[in-house]
This record gives sequence, structure tokens and C-alpha cells, in this order.
Amino acid sequence: MKSARFDYLRARSVEEAVRALADAHGEGKIIAGGQSLAPVLALRMARPALLVDVNRIPGLGGITRTSESSIRIGALVRHSALMRQCDHPLLAEVAGWIGHTAIRSRGTTGGSIAHADPSAELPVVAAALDAVVRVAGPRGSREVEAGDLFVGALETSLTEEEMITSVELPIPQRWGFAELSRRHGDFGLVTVVAAEIEGRWRIAVGGVGSVPYRPAEAEALLADGPLTEVTIARAAAATAAGIEPSTDIHASGDYRRAMTEEFTRRALTRATAAPDNGAA
Amino acid sequence: MNVEFTVNGACHSVDVEPRRTLADALREDIGLTGTHLGCEHGVCGACTVLVDGEPVRACLMFAVQAEGSSVTTVEGMAGADGTPHPLQKAFCDHHGLQCGFCTPGMLMSALDLLHRETNPSRERIRAELSGNICRCTGYVGIVDAVEAAAQEMNTAG
Amino acid sequence: MPSMSNEPGGETARRSVGTTVRRKEDGRLVTGRGHYASDLELPRMRHVAFLRSPYGHARIRGVDATEAAKAPRVHGVFTGEMPEFSAITLRARSALPSYVETDQPILAWQKARFSGEAVAAVVADDRYIAEDAIELIDVDYEPLPATVTAWIAPEEPVHAAAPDNVLLQRTFDAGDVAGALATAPLVVERELVTNRHAGNPMECRVGVALWDGADDKLTFWSGTQVPHIARNMLAELLGLPEGNVRVIAPDVGGGFGTKAVLYPEDVALCLMARAMRGVPLKWVEDRAEHLLAATHARDHRYVVKAGFGTDGQLLALEADVTCNVGAYSVYPWTAGIEPLMAGGLLSGPYRLENYRCTVRGVATNTSPSGPYRGVARPASVFAMESLMDAAARELGMSALDIRRRNLIQPEEIPYRMPSRLVDDSGWYGKCLDKVIDAIGYEEFLAEQSRRREAGENPIGIGVACYNELTGLGRAAAAGPRMPFRTGHDACTVRINPDGRVTVLSGVTSQGQGLETTVAQIVADAVGVAYDDVEVRIGDTNESLWGFGAFSSRQAVIGGGAAHRTGEAVKEKALRLAAALFDAEIDDLRLEDGQIRRTGEPEPLASLAEIARVAYLESNRLPEGIEPGLEATRFFDPIRGAFAAGAQAATVEIDRSTGELRILKWVCVEDAGRVINPQIVEGQIAGSIAQGIGGALYEHLIYDEAGNLSTGTLMDYLMPTSAEVPELIIDHISMPADNPLGVRGVGEGGTLGPNAVLAGAVADALGTEITRLPITPAAVWAAIQ
Repeated sequence: MKSARFDYLRARSVEEAVRALADAHGEGKIIAGGQSLAPVLALRMARPALLVDVNRIPGLGGITRTSESSIRIGALVRHSALMRQCDHPLLAEVAGWIGHTAIRSRGTTGGSIAHADPSAELPVVAAALDAVVRVAGPRGSREVEAGDLFVGALETSLTEEEMITSVELPIPQRWGFAELSRRHGDFGLVTVVAAEIEGRWRIAVGGVGSVPYRPAEAEALLADGPLTEVTIARAAAATAAGIEPSTDIHASGDYRRAMTEEFTRRALTRATAAPDNGAA
Repeated sequence: MNVEFTVNGACHSVDVEPRRTLADALREDIGLTGTHLGCEHGVCGACTVLVDGEPVRACLMFAVQAEGSSVTTVEGMAGADGTPHPLQKAFCDHHGLQCGFCTPGMLMSALDLLHRETNPSRERIRAELSGNICRCTGYVGIVDAVEAAAQEMNTAG
Repeated sequence: MPSMSNEPGGETARRSVGTTVRRKEDGRLVTGRGHYASDLELPRMRHVAFLRSPYGHARIRGVDATEAAKAPRVHGVFTGEMPEFSAITLRARSALPSYVETDQPILAWQKARFSGEAVAAVVADDRYIAEDAIELIDVDYEPLPATVTAWIAPEEPVHAAAPDNVLLQRTFDAGDVAGALATAPLVVERELVTNRHAGNPMECRVGVALWDGADDKLTFWSGTQVPHIARNMLAELLGLPEGNVRVIAPDVGGGFGTKAVLYPEDVALCLMARAMRGVPLKWVEDRAEHLLAATHARDHRYVVKAGFGTDGQLLALEADVTCNVGAYSVYPWTAGIEPLMAGGLLSGPYRLENYRCTVRGVATNTSPSGPYRGVARPASVFAMESLMDAAARELGMSALDIRRRNLIQPEEIPYRMPSRLVDDSGWYGKCLDKVIDAIGYEEFLAEQSRRREAGENPIGIGVACYNELTGLGRAAAAGPRMPFRTGHDACTVRINPDGRVTVLSGVTSQGQGLETTVAQIVADAVGVAYDDVEVRIGDTNESLWGFGAFSSRQAVIGGGAAHRTGEAVKEKALRLAAALFDAEIDDLRLEDGQIRRTGEPEPLASLAEIARVAYLESNRLPEGIEPGLEATRFFDPIRGAFAAGAQAATVEIDRSTGELRILKWVCVEDAGRVINPQIVEGQIAGSIAQGIGGALYEHLIYDEAGNLSTGTLMDYLMPTSAEVPELIIDHISMPADNPLGVRGVGEGGTLGPNAVLAGAVADALGTEITRLPITPAAVWAAIQ
């Protein structure tokens, strides 16, 4: 199980990285933490001609509080660093659910979002919080909202010569996170984030479709009035009603739908349980 | 490509293809075969080493990415005089290994845990080592060993 | 020489057997200095990669390897139609009447019969280059309809010799089943399906083959569990004198049965080595290859019907057992390995007179089934215990009472099972009692009622009793009438001139600590300190003979041989000492490396002094005594030793998700006399963990076209430290009828978990589990 041949560039700047990607004409691939890419390479399910290593680019590893209510995460911030930071408790909690220690010490925020695995945790958070992803390309940088970023399983709207440089996320007032996985550290069968931002509830569900699912109807149900057992149950049911999960070797579609309802309920319940501590 | 990094304090310079994993470089180019490969796709944890003090799956990192880094492997755990690390001793005392194939990775993950936490509960140990699969022991001896090593390291000051 | 000793000798000699000594293996293994075959590096070594069939079933119309052969740094490309390959097949032989012998090619060339079957091989400078080159090989496949389920009739048979895919069928018949079922007050019928899973040792398969060009000697380093059988088979297949083949199994990273097979890749490596004399060829299987092409197991269906009396007595058992044996009859054990074990031991530790069980091994387009820890019994125990639980519910009895009603009792030993196997244990009730004490049954029942009343998440208890047939001697040998009988092992014990002991044992170790266990046995048998015994295993040029690691046989058989040999060499040393010191041999003892005479506080001499005479001072050798201090002995227990076991667990079920949490797990087994308590407990713990993996997580799934859907460890889920609970393990130690009194212990733990967990879920929910594994989705569906 060995990768096919590739060339390697240790980029020293974002400009160098995106130029190299552009020069590779679609045959280039960024490697950051490599925790998703390296297995795919080893299995020869991907065979880029060029790997652009962005790990040594300065300035991408910071966590900045951009305002009272938002935070910017550099693309190279490792999951282990997300766990340790205190500004964004939801992210700290969620990062602890990503894989295992030796995965979290390498895996990066930008990498996880760019990889767009529908079962991964960070894309769900990004979707729930309407994160704004800062992207650099050969013609400068631009911002993409999470909702426009994820277009399919393992597929984003980024062009082949673009790379994520940072992600800006609001800090929710209240939040809840709930995930169902087969084993400790596995990708979630169902992952739910519920977060209250500026008085409005947002929900995102991972693992039940090709991209994180935002149930507009459920969010609308929660727009008026406080969260109660009844409104939570309604929102959870509405969330589950809006998905068409597929059956695979791990679970049936029916099970995933039922678990979407259950874990939406749990995430919302946790969000109401205690401020700033939405996980059980 | 030529790449230089230190392993267990010794500087190594190796000429590798970019696709060569750190694990293969350690095992085949540097000759440190203590780091084992159990899956090569980042699940089993057998190849866990420390890179600049952080636990890393050596099958998911390319050797060229280790340029300038400091790598610690199971061969570097014992003291300079050969005294086994308390974890190595505890794994022997508590039957924390049978075939020994997962052991180097397990020891590295445990070492990282005990760098971060001085007194982890059994539950914490189980959660933290869950990235390393052992097929022989049923984990009982491993949890016993890590618990005992933590105590030993705390008493030793 | 010490002039005074604190130890007067006699009863105070240190014993090693029965104590937890430091394992001899551990020092090198915890420092990264083990000697695994995958670590082996030899001058001029080249690396091998195999091209594997992407189809479950396909005709191979042609293989074009021209481009691969021309690739730089590639040194050889081999395909199945090459005469040296096509001339050899693996044909597992058996004299069983219904058995259809079939051929397994070394590299598939006319037809590929499972996805992952090796079709071609490349030798290159390194593994990366070899994998590049196999992509250049062009194979012209004509896909054929694949069969992956053993109880569905094939559209296209796997082997022409077996048009219905049935490779073997046998009926066990005792008593009058029809009559007993017709009159039984309660008849319970079930169809149960168990999940295909596999050993998955952490070190995959590995082989290094070196064919010495000068004198046609083959050395094969391998992670095999059966080096002597491998040598025997390789010599026969390759037409070499047996003495020209040396198989070396150094440190091996787990086996569990998976490596007790001679694989086509092993033979391919040796054939390639013959073509490239003097060049060591190394193949390290990767995990994807392992999941595809190493043996699988446990893919069974049980259609069972049992009659019970109103008091819970088991009156009759009728069963139809289908085992998916995969694409080939596994070499050399045959397709009979699982079906015959299932039929032989289905009734387990329960008294039964009326038994009819038809077992069949059915070929499919899946990886061959082979021996895996517990062979068939994790499935058959699940079937039997499901019947017990179902009958208990129907009769309003407790799960414990119905078992106690039927368990074979010590006074019934030897008990002839309806399959004609003879059970020599009988201590099942005692195991069960200890398990129930430890699990806290009364508290559990109170908590279960409380939760039911409070409407909280339910808890349940599951119980399994089982018998394990271990250490099979010639009269009960493993395997279905194969051309060889696996009853014995050999051991050589050599007292070196310095008085220390070297043991050349026929056992092999894949983590079971046999170096340690054998050293303990020999230390006591000879009368020397454990630290003065060195044990060498796994090299066919060193030890005379051993069948290897399977059927929990090595402590019983290899251990028995070590014990006998140790005593024989002690006898030689004492005879020499008696002659040297003009003493009666019956007055002499060898303890802690000292020769002592009864009644004397001081030792006569150290063993080193005696050994020195034996090797270096032939002038002092008495008349009639040859130089040297060495003995070789075989041991065969003739029959086997049954080991009793019982397990129970309590679980909590999250009603809204179907998730199951194990609250407590208890296992009590009869290991007979325990040689090393820590090793025995480690074996039990490890096997329970594998059993839990099989019951809850591990499932090798093929799609209808014959593609493996669980081809990486992302999808094939082995339990981690976060899933395996704390385990309470206890023993009863009823010495078996062999020189050491030991019973085999490596497999029993796997036998309980399927039954225990399915039983616990049923107890908690009142809904039966008839299909494994027990996933949250399955439990949730059962609740709905």
C-alpha cells in the first residue's frame, strides 16, 4: 500500500503554493496535516502529480479573536490546538471528537474543511455557524460562505489552484453537539451541531447527505420563542423529515433518519442545559 | 530528495522519493525497525512516533515533511544507560503485550499521554489509547501498565 | 564452591510452573528490537508485490506483462500460466466420503475465484516500484456471475468439480431425533446467521524466500504458525529433499489461526526465489491485501430445532449448518475445518442423546475460510445458547436454571457426546456458579426490575457455557481425515557445558509467550532456575518437530514434550552424578542447578560441574556413559483435554439509539493446571476481546458482485481500548490427564461473547437477535 509517484514542493508562502497549484494544471494537491489525503494516496485512490506542502508557510497557524463574537482560525491550526483554545468552546468540544490524538496533532482546520468529508465534524460546524472561508488563489483572495463551499461529498467550490488560508466563525451564545459513531474516534454516522447566534438557532447535520444539511424548516420553527421540550421535539422531527439518507454497510437510511431526529434533539437539549457548555 | 532530521537525538540524512513515508524511511533507510506498520492507512496506530514532541502516525507523514524535525521512536525511550523507561518496565510487569507488534506505537501514545497528564484515570487511558489497536491483550494489561507507569513516574518526581 | 548453604534442599526447591515470571520475549519487544520477519533486511534483497483480481469471479483470457517487465528497477514478473507455476496447485486432501477435492492455483490463470486472488507478481528494487509495476500488467478478464452467500444456489459454480458448490457434507446422527421431537413438550426452532470476520493479527502475513543457488537450499522466513508443516509442504510441492528446506518463524505479530495455513503467496515467493537464485525476495502483505486474501471465518447459517421437556431438559437437537468456506478448500486443513467443528461440538457442554446435524462446506466467490481462534464454535455456541435462552423464556425458567438442568456433570465424565467426542471436563456448573457469583446476579435482577418500573434504559444479562476441545492427540486429531495426524510435538533439551540449558522446542509463538512457558516447564523438569533456560523456537533447522500453533494444543502437547524431555535429561545428569560420586541415583536430586543427596545439607556438585565432565572431561566419564547431556522426546496426549468455560455480561441498551454498553463482564475457565497465571489471563482477556469484536463490530461484507465492501480498517472495525470493557477473569483449575495437568486456553474466550451479548440484548428487550453482528442499527430495528 504505497503511494504512486508525485513531485513535492515545500511552499514558503501562500503565493508560492497557489502558483505551484496553477502550474500543475489540476494535477496538484495541497497537503497540510495529510490525515485524510495520505491514506487516499496510499490506496492509490488519488494520484496527484504534485504535492504542495503548506505546513511550513508562516502565518497560517494562528487563532485570532476578531471581535467579541467571532474568531479566525488559521488554515494550519491543528485539531489539538482547537481543543486547547478557550475562545470558542463549541470548536474545542468538537475537535475532541475528531479521530484520535495522533490524528488531531497533525490534522488541520483548513484541511478538514477543504476535504469536505460529509461525515467529518468540522464541515458540520462550519455549515452550522455560516463560517466564512478565506481562500487564496492566483488572482488574489476571496471569501466563501460555508453554504457555498460544500457542493458534494469530498467536493468544494474551490478551484484547483485555490487554497484555504483561514476560517472565520461566529462564537455562539449557546450550542449543543451530539454525535453517534460506531467506535470511539470513528467518523460520525450522524453528527449534529446546534448553535444560537444573535438570538437565532442554526442546526447542521453531518453524515446524512453529501454535504452538511441545514434544516431551514426546523430552524424556522425555533425562531419564535424559547426552546422547550416541545419545540425541540418539533425541530428534531422537522430536521429528520427533510433528509433522504442512504443505506450503507454501517446503517440503514431509516436508522440514520431516526438518529438524525434523536441527535438533533440531544444537541438542542444540551444547548439549553447550560450556557457555554453544550456537550454531555 | 535529500532530507535531514534527527531520530532519538542522532542526526540522519537520507535520500528518499517524496512519496516515501516517514515510517518506511525510519524502518528501511535508517534501520530502526521498532516502528511497525499495521495498516498503512492511519487507523491502527502501530507506527505512532513523536515528531517534535507530538504523536504522529508515521504512515501518514512523508519523510520529506520531517525535514529539520526531531523524531522519537521506541528505540529512543530508554535512558542513555539503557535503563528502561517506566512505561517499558510497566508493560513487562503488567503483561501489556503479547505479540509485541502494536507495542511500540502503544508505548509512544502512552508516552505522549503521560507527557500531558500525570494521573490519568483508567477511563482516560482507554480513551487516549483508542487510536492504537491491539489484537492480543484485550487491553487489560495495557491499561494496567499505563496506570502503573504514571504512578511510578509521579513517585519518582 | 559455597561452603555453606541456607537451603538444605528437599522440599524448598523453587518452582517456576504456576508463577508469573518475567516473559523472556518482553525485553526485546518493548525496546523495538524484536525480530519480526517484516523487519528482515538481507543483502541484495528485492521486494514483491502481487496483482490481485478486481473481480469476484472471472475467466482470465490473458495476461500481458510486457510493459511491467520492461519497467526500470523491475527484476521479474511472474504469472500463473508460466509452467513452473501452473504445474503446482494446492490440493487440500481428505478421505472423508463426500469431500470434493479442488485445486487452488499458485497464481490464478484460468479463472479468478475471489476478489483479491493473486494473479501475477512483480519483483522490484522496493515495494513502491513493485506496486508501480503491477499497474502496468494488463489482464483480460471476462466477468462471471459471482456467488457470495453459501445458502443461495450458484448461477456459475466456483469449481467445475462441485456444480452445487458443496465441497463437503456430513451428517452426525445419534439416537432418535424425529421420535424425540415428535413427543417433546416444547420444540424451539430458529434460523441464525453469523457474521464473516477474521483474525487480523496486527502484523499481516510476511514471507522472505531465499533459494541458495549452489546447493538448492531454500530458506523461508515467514510469520507462519506452522513452520514444520510449511517445510514439509514446501519440500513436497517444490520437489526438494525435506532437509533442503528451512522455515524460520521469528517473532510473529499475532496469528490467531490466520497464519496456520500455507498460502499460495508463500509458494509463489519460493517459486520466484527459485527463478532468481541467490536473491532474497520479500513480501510484506499490506492490510488491504490481508482483508481481501488472508483467510476469513465464521460465515455460517444454523437452521436449528430443539426439543425440551417441561423441566427444561434438552431432549433432541436437529440442525442444518451451512458454512461459507470461500473460494478454495484451505490448504492443508480442507473445507471441512469449520463445518466439522460446528457439527462435532454444537451440543456443547449439554447432555444430549438424540442428535442429528448435517453440516456442509459450500464454496463461494469469497476469500477462503480458514482456522480462526475458536474455529466455528463462537457461531455454534451462539446457536446452542440461543436455543437454551429461547426455551427458558418459553418455559418460564431462568437462563441459569435451564443450563444447570442440562450441563454435563463431573460424575458423568468421561461423557460421550452425541458426535462421539469424549468430554473429560464436566466442571461447567462450577464455572457457571463462579461467574454468577462474580457478576452480582441478585443485585442485577433488582436493578433490572427497578429500571423497568422507572421506565429507564433497560439492562440485560447474557450467559454462555461452552466446552473447548484442546490439545488434540492422535485419537482426536484436528482436521477431517487428512493425510497427516497432528497429535504430537518434539522437544530437545540440552544442558550446556556451563550448566545452563538450551531448549529446542517444536512449539511456535505469535504472542502466546511460549518461550517463557516452555522455559518454566523445562526449568522445573530439569531442576534449574528459569533464568538459566534459553528456549529456541520457530526454526525447523533447530527443533526436530512440531505441528505448530492451533487448536489450543501447544501448552498441552509442546509443553508435555518439554516436560518429558526435561525429565529425561535430568535423569542423564543424575546418572552421571551418581557414577561420579559413587551414589545411588535414587538418593540424588537436581534442584536449582545443584545435585543433592538426600539427607545431606550441602550439594554434592553443581549441574555445571557435571555438565563440564559430560562435555569436556571424557577422561572422568564413567564406563558406559556417553559424553553430552541432551535428550529429545515426543509427547502425544492421545486424546484431547476438554476445557470448561462460562461467561456472563450485563449490558445497558440506549433505547433511542440501539447502542449497547457493557456494564460488567465475567469469565471463568478451567485451564487445568496453570503454568503462568499472567499469560493464561492474558490469553483469556485477548480472546474475549476478539469475541466482542466479532459480536459487535467486525464484519467482512461482500456485495453481490463479489467485491469486498470492508476493504480497509476504516470499515472493518476492530475494538479498541474504548470498546473493550474491564474483564473479570477467574479460574477453576482441574488438572487434566496429561503429565502437566494442563488444558488449552487460547481460544475459549472467543466462544462466549456472541451468545452472551445476544442473550443480554434479548434479556433487556425481550427481542431476539438472530443475525450477527449486533450493531446499534440492528438493535434499534429490533426495538421498533
